[in-house]
This record gives sequence, structure tokens and C-alpha cells, in this order.
Amino acid sequence: MFEFLFSHPAAAFQKGEFVLLGPAPWWMLALSILAAAAGLGWLIWRRRSALAAGLKGWRPAAIWALQATLAALLLLLLWQPALQLSALKPQQNVIAVVVDDSRSMSIVDGGETRSAGAVTALEGGLLGSLSESFQVRLYRLGDRLERINGLDQLTADRQATRIGEGLREVVAEAGSVPIGAVLLMSDGADNSGGLDLKTLAEVRSRRIPVHTVGFGRERFEKDVEISAVELPDRSLADSRVAARVTFRQRGYAGSKARLTVRDGGRVLVSKDIELDSDGGQQTESLLFNAGSAGAKHLLVSIDPLEGEENPRNNTLSRLINVESAKPRVLYLEGEPRWEYKFIRRAMQKDRTVQLTSILRTTQNKIYRQGVASPDELKDGFPSDLKELFAYEGLILGSVEAGYLTPSQQQAVMEFVDRRGGGVLFLGGRAALADGGYKASLLAEILPVTLPEGKATFRRDRVGVRLAAGGRDSLITRLVENPEANEKRWSDLPQLADYEEAGSPKPGAMVLAELMSPNGRPMPLLVTQNFGHGRTAVFATGGSWRWQMQQDLADQTHEVFWQQLLRWLVTGTPGQVLSSTPRQVLADESRVPLAVRVRDKNFMPVLDARVEAKIMGPAGASGVAELSPDPKEPGIYIGEWQAGNAGGFVAEVVARRGEEEIGRDVLNFRREDGVAENFRAEQNRELLGNLASQTGGRYWKPDELARLPKEITYSEAGITVRETRDLWNMPAVFLALILLKAAEWFLRRRWGVV
Amino acid sequence: MRFRLFWLLAFVSVSLSLLLAQRRPRFEMLEDNPSPFPADGNEKTEFAFARLMYPSFSGGYWGWQGAWATDYPKADRQFMQGVRRLTRIHARSAEEVVDLESDKIFDWPWIYAVEVGHWELNDKQAAKLREYLLRGGFLMTDDFHGTIEWDVFLASLQRVFPDRPVEDIPNEDEIFHVLYDLDERFQVPGIRYFYSGRTYEQDGIEARWRGVYDDDRRLMVAICHNMDLGDAWEWADLPRYPERWASLAYRIGINYIIYAMTH
Repeated sequence: MFEFLFSHPAAAFQKGEFVLLGPAPWWMLALSILAAAAGLGWLIWRRRSALAAGLKGWRPAAIWALQATLAALLLLLLWQPALQLSALKPQQNVIAVVVDDSRSMSIVDGGETRSAGAVTALEGGLLGSLSESFQVRLYRLGDRLERINGLDQLTADRQATRIGEGLREVVAEAGSVPIGAVLLMSDGADNSGGLDLKTLAEVRSRRIPVHTVGFGRERFEKDVEISAVELPDRSLADSRVAARVTFRQRGYAGSKARLTVRDGGRVLVSKDIELDSDGGQQTESLLFNAGSAGAKHLLVSIDPLEGEENPRNNTLSRLINVESAKPRVLYLEGEPRWEYKFIRRAMQKDRTVQLTSILRTTQNKIYRQGVASPDELKDGFPSDLKELFAYEGLILGSVEAGYLTPSQQQAVMEFVDRRGGGVLFLGGRAALADGGYKASLLAEILPVTLPEGKATFRRDRVGVRLAAGGRDSLITRLVENPEANEKRWSDLPQLADYEEAGSPKPGAMVLAELMSPNGRPMPLLVTQNFGHGRTAVFATGGSWRWQMQQDLADQTHEVFWQQLLRWLVTGTPGQVLSSTPRQVLADESRVPLAVRVRDKNFMPVLDARVEAKIMGPAGASGVAELSPDPKEPGIYIGEWQAGNAGGFVAEVVARRGEEEIGRDVLNFRREDGVAENFRAEQNRELLGNLASQTGGRYWKPDELARLPKEITYSEAGITVRETRDLWNMPAVFLALILLKAAEWFLRRRWGVV
Repeated sequence: MRFRLFWLLAFVSVSLSLLLAQRRPRFEMLEDNPSPFPADGNEKTEFAFARLMYPSFSGGYWGWQGAWATDYPKADRQFMQGVRRLTRIHARSAEEVVDLESDKIFDWPWIYAVEVGHWELNDKQAAKLREYLLRGGFLMTDDFHGTIEWDVFLASLQRVFPDRPVEDIPNEDEIFHVLYDLDERFQVPGIRYFYSGRTYEQDGIEARWRGVYDDDRRLMVAICHNMDLGDAWEWADLPRYPERWASLAYRIGINYIIYAMTH
């Protein structure tokens, strides 16, 4: 219809430039239109008294508007309006037809596979039509672009789709071949994270329009897809680990589903969930025990639901390295008290975290426990950074801030900020505000702003309760079920004492509260991240009653303290820390590696020699040398190609000369045939954006008949400049007739003909 | 009749109110050696000398002059003066009397039992003491002598721990080093020494430091047999009582407390 009325396709108007071919300049047209309109207006105004009775009020203005528009249109035609546009020269350009050949194209939509739909469209006349005017080159697209000789070479079995890389290869070919346009036939299920700006800029610089044809449904009717799993990449042995699973679903709102984490065939945790509204993202948290040391390959899945169209996107795999390290926590206590004893007892049952303590028994005497050698801490709390940095965590009990010298306080700050350790402040009669911490250097790293004055510590019994921030915390999870956990906290025996901790700082999280005697809730357990480390306040010295007041079989006290101290040290890095942003490679092989190297004072090491010995599946092995990152001192970067699917272990060693600074272990895994299971719905947004950003157009398969004509409007390849008259468009004549007819109709209606 | 009932109810009410008004129950009637109640005796502290009230052999709680109350409260208060002066423990000047009939015992993880050669625990009390000790409580026993009293003591202790042996505490155990090094220990006699001229009582010639350990080799029960540390605390202010005996008694007591607060 559009083409009938306007003589040219819409694309011609979008891409063409509007010009006036008449000899007179455009401003004369404007003046003429104004003069005509003014003249008509003056005529009507002069004769206003003689106008018929039916032409009163606003009606003369309407007649004037119609007549002025008609005059303007006629004047415009006299100036010879036309379109100027570039079009591909017939038979001299190449059209690159790129067909997505990935596994997602084998999904059956509407009775045939997406790939078959593309072949049908091409064989049903599109290929023939294009061949009449252009040379056609066929390509298939998977994780790379590959030229093919015929459609029979399409197999829809490529493991991934990388549209960006494919387009870059086409652009590279355009340097030697006059590619006039690209026709991309795909479902848009790209696995490389979308199109980057650089690729788009390259395509646009060549002015190659990319026309996209979308296949597949834009929405599954019934599907559940796990889109992300947040899981720490490291954990201590026998520690609780939290997994945050994000998924979306359609067609199952209000239904029940089961979310499971498996280690191999063993179920670590399972949770029944109720699915939220269709289309929205939903996030669920799962807590489970990491188990014994070693690299774990975890499968996080939602059991397939009845009638699900794509059950292959219900499972994501993740790696977690359960470390055999035994982190050490140094506990400084200023007076003998029961809390000290019972914390030590709780941690004696922990096979992973080791507690070393200094207790001031008398004014001038300390008692050490858990020391590794007779000389360890013999002079009391470390004054030397190296000595302090040998620990991963620190507890400051009922000990005045003034007991630590300013340099020791500075060292504690550096312990958190630079070394990345954890510091826990306990309540007590010489702790927090009563211990003078508010005026000390350590006030900065506290997660709370301490109250003014002293006398904030009270030996009164108070109850506790879980705060909103503690509901999903690993520290405060005493029993698995969240509701039962909340009740468990409320049912705990009263604390023997408490201290007013003040108010939490911005960014800090209150995990548990105590109910003061006047019924006002006050922070009990507050945590925060600070610098590279973390700090916490536990505003009591009386949690020992959870042990003495409860049945011997009850493990609440032990579980709480073990979880709190594990949190304190988990994430405290060693001198050598390796990482990769892609621990699980979905149909990819490139593994970027980064290693952070620090000396014993945790200052960046600039002259280290860092290498990663990598062992992979089927005996594959090799060494990757890492080089300093010019952007950040102390960081060494490199890359590894994971040739085969399977698990890889990299043992990273950093040396300076002959001295070994430290070592670390990193796990990663390549999985093939996975990427295409996800985001399998047609990504119309990506295809539409790609087309519009490059000057092409998004097409539905049933619209392709017009594509051969429209694809000619391109500025790439070998083009010719065309001028197309617009005065003879049927729409113009129709407008002229309609304007006069409207005037006649109105005059008839008002009885003034 | 109504008039008499009114006065009876009024009397009971006033008596109960007076009783409840006291923060802690006092056992003035049972004080073996009265001592002035300290001005800060009601201070809320981390530690208090918790004296175990137990039923005595053939006499209930009050049999044999109330064996549990021997030296009470002077020994307790005088010992606490030393604890407060010599350590950083926030300790109360007055003692706390606890018994096995009440769960209050679980608020005091260190308890002291005297004259345990006369105690007699029933099964329920033994079970509670066992639970207390396994949860982390600590029991120090003192001032019983000779074979007969040992047998009486053991009879009840075996109700508490039928399957745990009583062992001699070796010199290298932390309980003898946690604050003071107590390798050189000797028999500390009670006040009877001044009447009998003997440092021992009955046939308890040799002082023995024994104990019961838990599964992690932590002492739960520290048994001071054939010595009278309580008397040494009680009579430390007596010029005639030798300083070296009082001094050792204080050191042992303090070590036992600090051990209980660290292990």
C-alpha cells in the first residue's frame, strides 16, 4: 500500500535525501507559500461582511486553511521535489547471507526447526531474487564464521553463536570484496554477551547495512531458565556456603518447583520454592556445607516442570575450591572471663579455623593458648606487621584501646584495609565505648558509631532476636529452615550482659539485635566490609550462657562461633591470589588469568616471576607465564587456551629470585554444548538493534518478499547515486483531490455552495 | 476468726516480701565463721565464689552441722579479696551459694565444694552435676581427709561419672602453671594443726591433687584431698597461721579459677 501511494518503498524515504530540483531556491518557495496564504486570507477577510450566513465564526478560517494547504502543495510541486539516494549497482555487489548454524537453531518452533525455516525462506525465492541483482555468498555462523557452498551444509550443530565475531570477519572481507549488505538469519541467541561497541563501530564505519531475519518464538510459553548462580569461588572445609540462584520462568506462576545443588551425584541441599509471576526474575538463596577440601563441581538445577519446552536451561554448573588451609585467628582478651573460655571451647571443635589467644591474667602477665611455638607472641600483642599479618583474623575482647600502642592500632587498621583480614570487636567492660575505642584510631574500622561517654556495658540479662539483615546470613543460620532459624534466635537463653554498640555505619549490616530492658532493640551483631577486609561487632561478653543454659546436645553456641569466625577469615587472601573471571567456560576456550602477588607486609611485589602449571583432562598440561599488568602494580596477567572440555587445575607459583613468595591453586572448567541451551528464545531486541544501528532492518520471515528490493539501498559496496521524482506520486494527487473535496463537503454542509 | 485470718495473711505477706526483697538468699543462720557482708557484696560481676550447697551423708542439707557451709563465709570472702587484688578477674567480694536443686548453678561455671567427704548426692543431683560439668562447668573440692572420707566422696562422684577415672594431676598440667608455677606443692593443713600439731587429719598423711578429665583432657573436677585450703583462706589473717600455707592456698585457688576460665 505504502509503495503504491508513494511510488517508492519506505526504506527509500528513510535512506534517501529530500531535494528540490526546481531552478528557484527553497526560500522563494517559502515566500510564495506565505504570500499565497496571506492573499487567500486577505480575500476572505475583505469579503467577510458579504459572506453567507452559514460562514460565520471559525468556518471562514477552515475554508482558508484548506485553500492555503492546496496552494502550498501546488507550489511545492512546481519546485520539483525529489529523493536522492545511493543504491547498489546491479551485478557488481556481493550480498553476504549469514545463517546461524548453532544448536539453538535446531529448536522446533511452529512445526519445523528454526534452521529449516531459514532454509525454506532462502529456497522459497529469496536466494533467487537476490541472485538476480547481486552475487550471493553463503556463510554459516557458529563460534566463528565459515563460508559454505550450499544450504545443504547447514547442520544447526555449532556449539555457540558469536554474532560479533562473525560480523567482524565479514567486515574484514569487505576490504577485498564489495559487500553491499549483510543478511543475518538468526534467532539472536548470542553467547558472547551481546554485541560490543567496537564491532558495531567497525560495521558502521564500512556503512554496511545488516538486515536481520529473526527465527524462533520471542517467548516460550512454558519454560524455566536459571540465568545466574552467585557462589564464592573459595571456601573453607566444612563451612556453610551460600548460593544465590537467579532464574525466570513463564507459564508456571504460583507453581511449586524444586531447587537443588549437587556435588556430582550427591545432593548437597534441596529446597522447594514457589514460582513468582511470569516473566520476572526471581532469586532464591540456598545454604549448604562445602564438605571436605578439594575442587568441587557443583550443579545447580531446577527440576524440569511438566510441559517445559526447553528443560536444558534448568541447570548451571559452578566450581568451588574448598581449601585445606587452616586460617588462624588471634584473640586478645584483657581479663579472664567466661566468654573467652567458651569461645575457645567452641573453636576447639572446629578442625579448620585455629584460635590463638593472649589473655591478660594479671596487670603484668599474659597467658597464651594455641601458639604454634614457645616463642610465638611471647612479648604479647604483635608490634611487627609481619607478625600480625601471619594471622587471617583478629578478635579484640574486653581490652582497653589504650592497651594497644598507636602503632599497634595502626597495624590493626592495616590488617583489615591492606592485608584483607577480619577483625571482630566483642563487648565487655573494657571494650567498645567503655574501652575508649571511640577516641582511638580503631573507631574508623568499627562497623558502628559508638555512643558518647562510658558506662555502656551492663551486666543485665537481655534477650536476642534475628535482625532482618541476618535472615540470609551464613553467620546467623543456626538451623536450616529460615522461619525455624528466626524462632531459634528468639528462643535463645538470655545473654549474661550487653554493651550499647551505638548506631551502624552506612554500609554495615545488623544481623542480630538484643532487646534492652526497656524493650528497645539495639544492635548485637553488626558486620561490614572495610578496605580489603571486614570487621564486626558482637556487643556482648555473655553468649556463654547459650552453652551453659542449654542441653549438652545443643550445638547452638558452637555453631554460632564457628560460623562467625569462619566468616571472619573467609576471603582473607594469601600472599599469592589467583583468579579468573571465567571459571566455567561455556563453549569457550580462552581463560584469562590474573594473579595478585604481595610480600609479607602485603605490599605489591613488582619483580616477581609468576607461572601457572596447568593440568587438564586427558593428561593435557602446560605452563602459562604471567606478565605484570601495566595498569595495576603487583598484578600479573596471562591467558590459557583450554583445548578440551573438562576440568583444569592451575597451580600458580610466584617467585622472586630463588625465593618462593607463595602459591595458590585455581580451578576452571570448559563445558561444551551448554551455551546454546540458554537464552534460546529469539532475541529480537538484539537483532532489531543490530539492524537499526547499521542502517539495515529487522525482518520477519513472512515479510521477506520485499527484502530484495529494499536491500539495494546501501552506501556500501559499489553504488550509484539516483534521483527519483516525487511529484508524480499517487499520494500527491490524492491529497489535492481530498483537499478540494473537503472544502466542497464543508460548503455543502453549511449551505453556502 | 476472720480477724485472725487477716493477721495471718498479713504476716505471711510481709514475710514473703522481706524474703523476696533480698537480692540473694543469705544463709546467716548457717554461717560457720561469720564475716561482715562487704559493702560492694551485691555488685554485678563476671565471677563470684560459688559455694555448692549439697546434702550431707545421713543428714540432708543440714546434717552434720551443714558440711557444705564449713568455713562459710569468711573463707570465701577472704579468698575473693586475694583474687580481686592479684588478678584481672572482675570478681565479687561476696560469695554465691548455689545448690543442685536449682538451675541457677548453670550461671556459675566455677563452683567450690568443701568437706565433700560427707556429701551424698542422689541420682538426680548427680545427673545435674554431670550435665553441668560436661557443658563446661568446673568443680573444685577441698577439705576432706583420709580413706573413709575419700570413699564417701567417691561414692557420690561415681554417681556423677560412673565411667571416668579419678586421676592424679601431673605437675606439667596447665592447672599448675596457668598463672603461678606450682611445681613445689605441699600439704596445707587446717586450723586443727594448732590443736593437734599434725599437718594431716585422720590417715590422710599425703596431700593429693587429683582430678577428673573430659574427653578433650580438660579438667572438670579438681580434687584437693588431704589438705584444707579453705581453712588457709579463712585464717590467712591470723598472725599465727603460717604465710607459706596461706600463700600456697591462694595460689592454688587462683590457678584453679583461671584454669576454669580458660579451658
